[in-house]
Amino acid sequence: MFQIKWMWKNLKGHRVRYVIGLIMCAMSSGLALATPLISQQIVDLVLSPPAGQERRLDLLVPLVLFMVSAVLLKTGLGYTQVMINETTVMEMLHNVRCHIFKNLEQQDMSFFDRNRAGDLMTRMTGDLDMVRYAASMTIRVIIDAFTVFTAILIYFLYTDVLFTLALCAILPLIFAVCYVYSKKARPMYADIRERLSVLNTRAQENIAGNRVVKAFAREDYEIRRFDEKNADYRDANIKVNKFWMKYYPAIELTAQSMSIIVLLLGGIFVMQGRISMGQMMAFSGLSLTFANPIRNLGTVLNDVQRFLASANKVIELYYVRPLIVNRVDCHKEEGRLEGRITFEDVTLKFGGHSVLKHINLDIRPGETVAVMGNTGSGKTILTNLIPRLYDPTEGAVLIDGVNVRDWELHSLRKNIGVATQDVFLFSDTIDGNVAYGNPEMSEEEARHYADLAAVDFADRMSEGYDTLVGERGVGLSGGQKQRIALARALAIKPSILILDDTTSAVDMETEKFIQHNLQNLDFPCTKLIVAQRVSTTKHADRIIVMKDGEISEVGTHAELVKQGGYYAEVCALQEALGGEEYAQA
Amino acid sequence: MPRRNRFDVDETLETPFNAAHLKRALVYGKRHVKKMVIALICSIISVLSSLIYPLILQRAFDVTIPEKRYAELVGLSAIALVTILLSIAMVCIRSRLMVIVGQEIIYDIRKDLFEHLQKLPFQFYDDRPQGKILTRVIHYVNNVSDILSNGIINFFLEILNILFIGAFMFAVNAKLSLLVLAGIPIFICILFIIKPRQRKAWQKVSNKGSNLNAYTQESIDGVKVAQLFVREQRNEETYEALSNEQRKAWVGAQYVANVVWVSVENITSWVLGALYLVGVLIMQPGVSFGTIVAVSNYASRFWQPLLNLSNLYNNLINSVAYLERIFELMDEPVTVDDAPDATELPPIEGRVTFDDVTFGYTPDQNVLEHLSFEAKPGESIALVGPTGAGKTTVVNLISRFYNINDGRVLIDGHDIAHVTLHSLRSQMGIMLQDSFIFSGTILDNIRYAKLDATEEEVKKACETVCADQFIEEMDNGYYTQVNERGSGLSQGQRQLIAFARTLLADPKILILDEATSSIDAKTERLVQNAIDELLKGRTSFIIAHRLSTIKNCDKIMVISDKGILECGRHEELLQKKGAYYKLYTAQIST
Repeated sequence: MFQIKWMWKNLKGHRVRYVIGLIMCAMSSGLALATPLISQQIVDLVLSPPAGQERRLDLLVPLVLFMVSAVLLKTGLGYTQVMINETTVMEMLHNVRCHIFKNLEQQDMSFFDRNRAGDLMTRMTGDLDMVRYAASMTIRVIIDAFTVFTAILIYFLYTDVLFTLALCAILPLIFAVCYVYSKKARPMYADIRERLSVLNTRAQENIAGNRVVKAFAREDYEIRRFDEKNADYRDANIKVNKFWMKYYPAIELTAQSMSIIVLLLGGIFVMQGRISMGQMMAFSGLSLTFANPIRNLGTVLNDVQRFLASANKVIELYYVRPLIVNRVDCHKEEGRLEGRITFEDVTLKFGGHSVLKHINLDIRPGETVAVMGNTGSGKTILTNLIPRLYDPTEGAVLIDGVNVRDWELHSLRKNIGVATQDVFLFSDTIDGNVAYGNPEMSEEEARHYADLAAVDFADRMSEGYDTLVGERGVGLSGGQKQRIALARALAIKPSILILDDTTSAVDMETEKFIQHNLQNLDFPCTKLIVAQRVSTTKHADRIIVMKDGEISEVGTHAELVKQGGYYAEVCALQEALGGEEYAQA
Repeated sequence: MPRRNRFDVDETLETPFNAAHLKRALVYGKRHVKKMVIALICSIISVLSSLIYPLILQRAFDVTIPEKRYAELVGLSAIALVTILLSIAMVCIRSRLMVIVGQEIIYDIRKDLFEHLQKLPFQFYDDRPQGKILTRVIHYVNNVSDILSNGIINFFLEILNILFIGAFMFAVNAKLSLLVLAGIPIFICILFIIKPRQRKAWQKVSNKGSNLNAYTQESIDGVKVAQLFVREQRNEETYEALSNEQRKAWVGAQYVANVVWVSVENITSWVLGALYLVGVLIMQPGVSFGTIVAVSNYASRFWQPLLNLSNLYNNLINSVAYLERIFELMDEPVTVDDAPDATELPPIEGRVTFDDVTFGYTPDQNVLEHLSFEAKPGESIALVGPTGAGKTTVVNLISRFYNINDGRVLIDGHDIAHVTLHSLRSQMGIMLQDSFIFSGTILDNIRYAKLDATEEEVKKACETVCADQFIEEMDNGYYTQVNERGSGLSQGQRQLIAFARTLLADPKILILDEATSSIDAKTERLVQNAIDELLKGRTSFIIAHRLSTIKNCDKIMVISDKGILECGRHEELLQKKGAYYKLYTAQIST
């Protein structure tokens, strides 16, 4: 089975220990059979020997010691075995999840557009735990069952072949029932898993969107919606148990009927003189132990189904490949890039829908280009192509004359500083967030860039730059978050700075301050600024106006105003809103 | 500012282990007492019916087979079959019942937890990584169900077993039986030694797991930033370290947990050995060999339920670590809640009064001090001022997202601290800075404000904010599926959807916090016209940095230095040549 092969692959480096653990598991299961045997010997030899045999009092102490040490050995083996198993399985789990995490970090944006965070979380938590459980618990149960079953089977065969065959005659029937059950239960377990993931997503969204929930006083609605999924998950679990209860009696009955066979068939055999009374008693004593592994089959089957449902989800994440990867012969660059950006006839389609159409643009190193345009006209997606978050469908984006597809991703992205509208901050200190791109940065240096981006509000916080901010910067105002994001982008001293409406929530005075700083950066830098305000765009070397995925206007502020297109219209609008004072400016 | 919790900070739990957690958890089981009792009875019947088989066997060995009674043998087999069938039927009933009980318990705990979460204020969510909350709601709850359903039944069953076997054993020989019981103090000693370690170990597992999950969640949410800033490798190292800690904690807990069964099995064999030695070598001829055999038989059976109990105990300790976390969350105080004497806020006109309001997110730092103002019904109030001055805070206080430290906030003369939150908030329309989009269709997202809104109403709201055009251009129009973080939508589009959502609520008090900051200038102009229309008859609070958008407001308040610096109409404030004048001229001269 592929899932098992995959686990084996990830056990690399621990395989020998893992297998030794399993062998020890088998040994301790075998020893578990030995202890009752010794006990039996004590009874037979010392306490109540069969008629005509001598009581062997001299054997008592050695036998008792033997029994105690056998148990000690068995439990010692068992403990060691469990620990080896748990240790190696955790090593495997650690490897697997680190691998998956690494893989997730490398996925391109289209992957995250497709997969919900809640579902990814389910895979990284519940599903992984299922895999761990199978690799440690389930396998031990299986080995234990197998050892006991085989040992007793050998003993039975040794005693009487025909009798044993009669006992085993029903086994194929059990296997058939199990097979049918497994096949039918598989989709049900996959369904349970899916519902858990849906439940997880619902809870996760509720937590993430708690502000909206409260703003609209929708708590009751949220509770109802969650309740629905909560009940769905419960019902799926109950349903699979109901289904199991259809098969369970068949399996259990066949397992238990072994003792009836022993009674009936054994009785007849004894009466006919085929086997001795003693043999029959031995059979009878062991028949329950013999049936136990079969009875455990049910639990194992269900665990295996659960494992398969989860393992498939985990394996998917393990092997999913990002579309945006380094070429083998990719272009590496240790130093700074110059910062030339060229779009050559770039077209980008999402699901047959063109979001960018035949974009041609050349931005010189050090140039400042402003981008303006309607909501949804493709401004953000245009900037996303530069650090290669997406690949264009047609055409090419070149940085310093090299196609971004040929750049080594890290060399490329290290030179690009991006601050987006939708600010994501990490639950870390303000200082840590500013230095995100270069954690080795000194505190002074981080302060320098924080100052450039007007993060001075941190001074007024009780713990200053060491104040922890939550995920997505909750607790900070929109403008404050944007300023931290800007400082974060500046702090890597990028050759290309992309500001995607970064100052939209910043007050005007601060924005002016930031604008001034941006014009006087202490490192050479090409700037691409997406903005809505003319005040931001007018000082740019060039302004681009986007419309429905195309560049509709290009030129300086003065040129475009003269041209009388969209830009001129926006200028006029903002002028009208700004009043007569604006005209004086 | 209180230290926020991070992914790498364990949430330490100070309270010692107490039975109260367990007792509280049992409440969830109590709801199903009837089912559990039936299940217990079924289990007992099935145990008893399995006791019949040895009797049948004895009869067969002693009489039936030696005397070659074929017919009786068949009869005995038939009886055995009946007992097995009975036993299976009972097990089936028990399993069905207990799965239902277990699932109902999970469902109930999760429901209570989620309902409580809905009551918790912003502050709670601001202070800890979301992943940590999520783990508790989903995984921890799943982990405790078994102990609260099957665990309870098995507990009773094993106790019954012990009593039953113990009674038989004592009936045979009391002195030897006492010897068997001598193992129990040893066992209890061992339990006492490992219990604190065990509890600590499992707590560590739950802590480290929680940290790992919090980091995973944050990394998934922030993956774009990580990639842009080439942090993948470093993040992987962090993750690896966290994963390693969880691994170590787990293995560490196993070292302790597995001691329990090892000791039980060994104690059993010592007791058995002692029994043989004492019985044969010391007590002879006081007891017969047959008695020793019988007692030893019971002794080995006596310890099996004890072993089961100790496993149960193991699970219990493990589950309590999770239960503690769950109850901790359930006990999280609801700081913003309906007052005991809260009344429904009647349909409002929209008068908002701040009466000497002082507020701070933390006790040691006030954001606003002695703030007083009044907004008449239908008035539009603009809040301006530097980032972080407290503009958003002011509007958050109107909806009572936070409790104020001092003073009063009144709506139509009603102190909002004394009205129900639902009646208050459902009469407000708030457009937040963060335009969160739920996964679902665009239609659902807009309808969030008014669940029974018709499609027509939704479309009308969208037309008002000029969102209809781009929505209709999408593949499935209003039925297009969008995502939690609104991926597939531009920031401006998300803002327009959130805006339409706010309008649909048709509130008496409208709060627009940077509602149009990401919308392009041309659309904004159109939206602006619509807003002017909308503001009629509503009290509105508008926060905007583009002062041009608020020029026409009835009142402009400049918020700075924990209070109102200036207040008046646009022209008045310009004439005053104060803070507003400075802001305004700064803006237009860029």
